[in-house]
Amino acid sequence: MTISQKTAWAQLAIFGALVIGWAVLFTVNGTVFYWQDETMKMTFYWLLAAAFAALVVMNVVMSILKSLLKAVTDERDKAILRKASLFATGTSYTVVVALLLALAITYMNGGSDNIPVYFPLFIAIIGGVTLLLTQAIAALVMYGRKVNHA
Amino acid sequence: MPSTRINNQIRRLRFDHGEMTQEELAQRAGCTRQTIIALEQSKYVPSIELAFKIAKAFGVALEEVFQYEE
Repeated sequence: MTISQKTAWAQLAIFGALVIGWAVLFTVNGTVFYWQDETMKMTFYWLLAAAFAALVVMNVVMSILKSLLKAVTDERDKAILRKASLFATGTSYTVVVALLLALAITYMNGGSDNIPVYFPLFIAIIGGVTLLLTQAIAALVMYGRKVNHA
Repeated sequence: MPSTRINNQIRRLRFDHGEMTQEELAQRAGCTRQTIIALEQSKYVPSIELAFKIAKAFGVALEEVFQYEE
């Protein structure tokens, strides 16, 4: 397993755990939106902060490993990462656009009073998490499939 | 993705060169062992540069390593 594969697995584990944590939180609180519950709000952010802290630590560890080992990444790793990033960017843009449409529809139906002030931040967070999660999954799938350098 | 029409003789050439290991070939060509495995399984089509490096590692012409099927 290359360093890039290990990075993708770690990224998947971190953001998979974050999504599961949110899912458990939503189940316990009976709502899918953190702004509807004051106690839930901080837990939502703490989970997010823990995930990003884990992401930073993981990247530092991988950078140290890369500097210690020889030939840890090559053109195939880079090609897979590039293709996975392109796919993840498209997917996260689609999710963000869908959520913005939901925001617009809510606004048109009920005016600005119906839109929580946290909603734009929620869209940005979900877009970021979708990007990193999709990138990890796409990279791991591509490692098992046929890939061209171009 | 359509199946590639570029075949390679890497596995055979490794054995012809004293059962050269995948790791040894990877070091000579400047790539990872996983890429050599992917090449042998026809799961990766390399760049021209890597193709030349692999041919050089075996000391043969590029056409002896990679063949394009019409």
